[in-house]
Order: sequence, then C-alpha cells, then structure tokens
Amino acid sequence: MATQGDSAVERFVRKSLLPVCIIAGVFVVSGFFFPSFVGSVVTGQGWLVVSLLFFGSGLSYLALLPVEYDVEETDARRDAPYLLRVRHLPWVETVRDFATRQDPILFGVGVGGIASFLALRVLVPNGTVAAVGAVRDVLLNDLGWVFLGAMVLAVVYCLFLLVGPWGAIRLGGPDAEPTYTYPTYFAMFFTAGIAAGIVFWGPAEALFHYQTPPPFFDVEPQSDAAVVAALTYALFHWGLSAWSAYIVIGVPIAYFVYQRGAPLRVSSILTPFLGVENLGSYWGKLVDVLAIFATIGGVATSVAFVSKQFLTGIQYQWGVTYGALGPVLFVAGLTVIYVISAESGVHRGIRRIAGVNLVLFVLFGLLLFAVSPRDAVLSWGTTALGTYATSFVPMSLYTGGEWVAGWTVWNWSWWFSWAPFAGLFLAALSRGRRIRTVVFTGAVATSAATVVWFLLLGGTSLSLQHSGTANILGSIATHGGSEAVAGYPLFSALPLSQLLIFLFLALIIVFITTSADTSTLVVTILSTRRNLAPTTGSIVFWGVFQGVVAVAVLLIGGGESLQAVAVLTGGPFAVISLVALVGLTRAVLHDEGGQSSLRARIRRRGSERGPNGPRED
Amino acid sequence: MAGDVPGPDSDSALDEMFYRTERVQFVYWRQFSGAKTTVMLTTAIAVLAFVTGLSDLSQATVELNGPLATFLPGPSDAVRLYGVFFAFIVGGLTVGLQRRVRLAWYGTVVALPMIALLPLLTADSTDIPLLLATMVAFPLVVYNRGKFDKPIDLSPFQTAALTAFVAVQIYGTLGTYAMRDRYTGIASVTDAFYYIIVTGTTVGYGDATPTDPLTKLFTVSVIVLGTGSFTLASGSLLIPALESRISAAFGNMTASELTLLEDHVLVLGYSELTEPLIDVLAPATDVVVVTPDAESASELTEFDVNVLTDDPTDEETLLDARVDTAKGVVVAGDDDAQDVLMILAARQANPDVRIVAAANDQKHVDKLEGVGADTVISPTLIGGQMLGQSILDEDDDPV
Repeated sequence: MATQGDSAVERFVRKSLLPVCIIAGVFVVSGFFFPSFVGSVVTGQGWLVVSLLFFGSGLSYLALLPVEYDVEETDARRDAPYLLRVRHLPWVETVRDFATRQDPILFGVGVGGIASFLALRVLVPNGTVAAVGAVRDVLLNDLGWVFLGAMVLAVVYCLFLLVGPWGAIRLGGPDAEPTYTYPTYFAMFFTAGIAAGIVFWGPAEALFHYQTPPPFFDVEPQSDAAVVAALTYALFHWGLSAWSAYIVIGVPIAYFVYQRGAPLRVSSILTPFLGVENLGSYWGKLVDVLAIFATIGGVATSVAFVSKQFLTGIQYQWGVTYGALGPVLFVAGLTVIYVISAESGVHRGIRRIAGVNLVLFVLFGLLLFAVSPRDAVLSWGTTALGTYATSFVPMSLYTGGEWVAGWTVWNWSWWFSWAPFAGLFLAALSRGRRIRTVVFTGAVATSAATVVWFLLLGGTSLSLQHSGTANILGSIATHGGSEAVAGYPLFSALPLSQLLIFLFLALIIVFITTSADTSTLVVTILSTRRNLAPTTGSIVFWGVFQGVVAVAVLLIGGGESLQAVAVLTGGPFAVISLVALVGLTRAVLHDEGGQSSLRARIRRRGSERGPNGPRED
Repeated sequence: MAGDVPGPDSDSALDEMFYRTERVQFVYWRQFSGAKTTVMLTTAIAVLAFVTGLSDLSQATVELNGPLATFLPGPSDAVRLYGVFFAFIVGGLTVGLQRRVRLAWYGTVVALPMIALLPLLTADSTDIPLLLATMVAFPLVVYNRGKFDKPIDLSPFQTAALTAFVAVQIYGTLGTYAMRDRYTGIASVTDAFYYIIVTGTTVGYGDATPTDPLTKLFTVSVIVLGTGSFTLASGSLLIPALESRISAAFGNMTASELTLLEDHVLVLGYSELTEPLIDVLAPATDVVVVTPDAESASELTEFDVNVLTDDPTDEETLLDARVDTAKGVVVAGDDDAQDVLMILAARQANPDVRIVAAANDQKHVDKLEGVGADTVISPTLIGGQMLGQSILDEDDDPV
C-alpha cells in the first residue's frame, strides 16, 4: 500500500481547507434550511462569498485527498525532490529549472502571442476590434462552408469508425489494458469536453430559436411548429456533430501515440507526413502553438464569460449588485480551484471533480424531470428527436444565410477550437480501448447525455414560455439578451425552485472547473519539452496565466474580440482535422494493409460469427 | 512513411501522469461501502432529519404538496414534528449500529423508509436532501446486513423489567380509555396515553382526573406499577452500563464481562514486551491482561484489550480470568521469579492450557520450562542473534 499526495505541503493545505469548508458549509446549510432567520442576517455579497468558499474549499479538499494504491512504485518520487527543491534551491534555480523544462518556442509564442493580443487590444482598441470583426465575417460568412463540410466529414468518419472494421483496433496493442474504468473514462471526458455553456444554454438556446426560428424550418415565430423546430436545432448544435469534432482530432492523436510511439501532443496528427522524429519541426510546432492559442484563448474567455454570467444571474435573481471587483474575485477563486485540481493529478482531482460533476448533472436532471411538465416535454422531445434524425443530413448541409453563419457556423467553429484540448485529453485517457469504444464514448454517449439535457431543459423552458406560465424571453430581453438569466425565471416557476437554483449554481462552478483543470493540464503538457513531466510549477503557471487572461478579458472588456479570436482558431483546426483524417486513413491502410492482419481477422470473425458465434469483446 | 519505428519511445514522464498500473475507478466502492460508512451515513441522516425538522418547525405553515400527501391520515400539522421525532429515533439506532447490534439494524431498516416519507409528503425544497440521503443510505444498510450481527444480551431480570414497563403502559392506556367516561378530560386514546405518562412519571398536571373510587384505585395501581417498573427498567439497564464504564476506567472487568470470555489469551504480568505482544494478539483474538500494577493497567486500557487488575500469581484470579476456557497463556512479566509463580499458578488452575513464557535472563530458560511452561523464549537471545545475522548478510532482511 502506498499513498500518493501525502506531502507536507498538501497535508497543510488540506488541514487548512477543512475548517473553511465546514464553517462555510454550516452557513450555507443554515441559510438553506432557515431562510427566515439567517437570510436577514447575511447580505447578498456575504452569501456569494460564503457559498463560493463552501464549494471551492470542498472541491479543493476532495481533489487533495490522498490516493492509495497497491503497487509500491514511484512513491514519493514526485513529492520528495519537490520538497527538497523548496527547501534547498534558491529561487533563481527554481526559475531556471522551470525554464529549462519549457519548450522555448511553444512557451514563448504561446504566452507572448496572447499577451501581445491583449496589449494591442488596449493600445489600439478600435483597430483590433475592426480587424477581428473583418476576419470573423470572412470566416463565418464566406468560408462557412468549410466548417459545415468539415463537420459533415467528421460525422461520417465517426460513423465509419463506429461500424467499420477499424473500430476493432485496440489502442496500444492487443494486450493493452485500459487504465480507467468505463464510468471514469466517460465522466472525465464528458465533463472536460463541455463547460458551463451547457448549463447556461440548456434553458436558453431553444428559446432563442423559438423567438427567431431557423430559416431551415419555415415556421412562424413562437408557434407550435416553432417549438419543435427550436428544440431540433438545439439538439443539432449540441449533439452528435459537435462531439464528432473532438473525435476527429482525438482518435488520430491516440492512434499515432499508441501505435506509432509518437509523443502525446496535438502535433502527433502530423506523424504520417513528418515521421515521429520530425514532429519537433516547425510544422509540428505550428500545430502545437495553435492548440495552445485555441485552448488558453477558448478556456480563459469561457472562464471570464461564465463569471460574468454567473454574477448576472445572481444579480437578476437576488438583486445583488457587484462592482468591477466581483467578477475578478470570482475568477481568482475559480483559478485556485482548478489549479489545485489540475495539480493533484488526473486520478485525483480531475477524476473526483468529474465524478461530482456527473453526479450533480444526473441528480439535477432527475429532479427537474420530476417537477417538469413531463407530458409536454416527452411529446415534444420525441417529435424533436424524430425531426433531428430525419433532418440531420439536410440540416448539416444547409448553408443558407446570416442565421446559419451566426449560429451553426459559429458553434462549429467553437467546437473545433476546443477540439485540440478535448481531443488530446481523450487520446490520453484512451490507451487500451478499442477505437470503436473511443468513438462510442466520445461522440455517441456524450451526445446522448447532452441531447437528453437539452430536451429536458429546452423542453421545460419552451413549455412554460409557450403556455405563458413564465415569461423567460421577457426576462432575457430586459437583461440585454443575455442567456445567463434564462434559468432563474424557469426554475422559479417550478416546484423545488430553491433547491434547483442552488444545484444550478453548483453545476456552473463544477462544469467550468472540470474543463479548466483539464485545459491547464493539456497546455502544460504541450508547452513542456518532450519526454519531461509537467511539474507542479508549470501547471500552476499555466493555470494562473489562464486566470490572468480571464481577468484581463474582464477588465479590458475585450471579451468579445478575444472570444472571437479564440473561436476562430477553430478555423485552422477544421482544416487540420481534415489533414488528420487523411493521415489516419493512410496510416491505418498502411499498417493494417501491410500485415493484412486486419483483413484476415475480419474474414476470420466473419466466418466465426455464426448464429451464436464467439465474439472477442 | 518514416514513422514505422514502433517504439517504446512514449513519454515515460507522461506515463506516470496518466497511466497507473492499477485500474482507476470512478468510485472506489469497497472503500465506501463498509459498515463504517453505513454508520456514518445513518448518523448524518439523524442530523439532517433534525435540521430538516427544525426547519419545518420554524416555517409559518407547512404545505403538503407531495405525491403521498393525500394518504396522510390525521392532522397535517403533525408533519412538523415528524423530522425531529425520527431524528432522535435514528440517533438512538446509530448508537446501536456503532456496536453492530442486530436489533439496531432492524430498527434502521424500518426507520429510514419512514424518514423518506416526510419529503414525499411535503415535497419541500428543504426536505429533498433528506430523501436523497436516505436513498443512498438504505441500500447500503441492506447491503451490510451481515456486519450488524451482535445480539442484545439482556439478563432475565432486564428482560422482565422492560416487559413490565411496556405492559404497564399498555394496561394503563387501555384501562383509562375504557373508563374514559369516569374521567374528566379524557376523550381519545391519545388523551389516555398522555394521562398515563403524566401520571407514571409523577408529573401530574391535573388536567385529567379520575372521578370515582374505581378509577381512583385504578390510577393508584398505575402510579405504583408505573413508577416501579420505570425505576426497575431504567435501573437494570443503566446501572450495569455505568458500572462497566466505571470499572473499565480502573482496569477491572465486571463479573458479567468475565463470564463471557472463551478461547481467549491470557497475558500475565506487565513488561516492555506487553505492548508489542498485544499489537500482535489483539487483532487475532480476545486478550485479557492480568497485572497487579494499576498504573500499567490504566495505560493498557487505551488499547482495545481487557485488563484485570489483580495478582496473576493467585490461582483464584486466574480462574476469574477464565483460564479454564482460555486458548493459551503468555507469561511475560519483568521479574523471572514472579514469572515462575505465574506459570505454577496457571498450570495448577488449568493443567492442559498451553503456556508460553519469556525469560528475562537467558539462564532461567530451563527453570521456567521446568515449572511447566510449554515454550520459553529469551528475547535478549533472539535479539542478539538477529543483530548478528543482519550485519553478516545484509541482503537478507531477517524480519
């Protein structure tokens, strides 16, 4: 029995977190159970601070709990030298050690690029915004077909991997054992691949489409037909297509890492063109730098936006106002949580918080289903699912108009910009799994979860809006069209509203944490030199850097333009995904074709699979 | 295609980060599904039920919106007391569960679904956590049923006292209700029960009173029997518990504790060897330490062993410690002369028991064997040999 995570530093942090968590917990619990007594004593700001302290310290404590494992190996290897370093090395040495571990180009261009964009945004605000806007218009409007086409290809390729013979390939060789059990695997990938957007857009997206129906469905706004059209498009934007973007980056990385011995980096998708030795060339670095831009830009802006939306919601619901400092403090708190989670490791913080996230997600779904107008949700849901299935192909190919550019193409670009980090994480977790399992988990199971979520939340909010029970659209309109407020009027109109809103806020925090901790880890891996382990120092650096970018976005107010830039990095990745698919196809054809093992195996399996033929899996 | 080198060239540093040799599970069920977790969850439910109950009490009105609300008999206001009432019941059951008592397990299996009724009646936001907690705890309680297997060993006297107490309450309540016309202020079974409790505990508010000789005599009988049985029941149940607590503090075992011993190991005397010895023995079997030294006895009570503070060279003491049913005797005092006397006493009290002795001085090994020890070990001899061995062949770990 050995223990990991029992170093003196961690023990100290754990010990100091526990009382904070308990005291804040007592406040939160008493506020929940005795609103009439406690509610008047504590102010709105006080509540926010106390509940964030409660969530934050609880999650961090959970992340830092030690893990015990049976094999006596690698024990204290990471802890001991780290502690020694803390005691004996002067800070210059620490910095030098940190610096020598970083890849100079990736680190320098990554940090410098983002910093200089922010500087430009401050110095020449109008010019930057105009430039970004122009690029954005060109990409979304004129080149929208690239995104749509890449996404269609991604879905087709996923379906091919799912049903085709290549799905049987086990990553890491036929004898490789998966490290993570299936629930862990699913929970970690699902929660990393989707951020708090799902929480905000869940009740909101279908409503927007209900108000302004997609031109693909020629329906009257706010009519019965618009309900189904709106739900269908919400499913389309968050369903199978979206998750396929992760697969077409993730599976090629996994294949080249486990079958060809390429390093665990996004640039590994270039293996069939450059070879494993030459992945460090400028083409490889370019892909990795783009991945760093996309990840830091994408996740940092998400952190900033989520903080703003979170506080907008609080302001709407309880009338509590915050100055400019509120969001900054919120981002700082989030940063602490996700840095601790990322630092504690994949099998500790990231796994546990993913677990908490999934449990809360399911619990919230069940509770909402219990109190929602079930008949309406079920009947509209089945109709929308049917429409989604039958109109999937035409919707995917539909290129018409401003609406598609603003919603579908923008969404696809957003998903592609998250693809490098989500795909790399998927690849990292997938050793020992069959490609079919990877695709099934990464695209089918995850999209099933989001589809159910959007049917439930979208269906409920549409049902309340359509029947006039709650005027959610009115609330959104009075708050400048912000999707952040949609949840509150919705839950207030339902039974158990207090509990639902409480869980809703908790979900926002865990969802953004589970994405930000993974993105921190991935960027750290990318910026560290090949063959070196990411150290605590570099994880903390990138986590804090991500937080600083988020704060900068909040303070400068360049959120929209930075988010646009981050999302537009999806453009290159839409193209890179095509390259990856070509590379994967060539490589698998070469590997499997050369040895003809696969064909032989298929033939063998085909003959074995009689009525009750034995199956391998 | 330059990438054909199938390589072990993967990042070993990353391996450490992502790939562990053992499976990483979603939740380590075995770690979280034991009896200990069950007890902790039940405790948490007791606390949660208490807080929920207080929350219900603090609200101006309690509305019944739950799916089971229509089936509720009686006044809906009773719901407000529900949480706190069950909190105390479950709290009591937790104490029993902690001791792994079977009866407490049965009680919990009944009480948890009863608690879950509350949220299903009110469907209030504040009650839902209680429902969720019971839904988690109940399967765990059922799953761990085998671990709560200790019977309650009540003496015949305790059983009789408890039975009498319960019987008097029933007798009084039924009798009062049957004769309710001859009382003032009693109309229902609840009134009758209230009257009996108020009378039996000698509170006697005087709001309900007997009016004729028959009911007065009946009330006298309830007073005499009720207070008497209450005193007997509480005395017979509480006093032994207090007694054993007090005697445990002094390192003395009660007579009833001693009679239960069987197949245990007696450790006679106290020395430096005693604590490591107990570390080995205690997990495997029941251990009774017999030592005349009250100070060392009180130190030992911190370990989970029974201690009898008495003279181990006295046969009577050893018979009290049930040397006749013991599995074995370890003699390990710090004085070899005393050890000889202990061996002799143990051998006389039980000629068949296996006796193992530690000789403080190597010269005394044969003497201790001579007076009846089956095995004699000299710790100094073994220690010296091990020291020598470990310096000679350093590869072999002698321990």
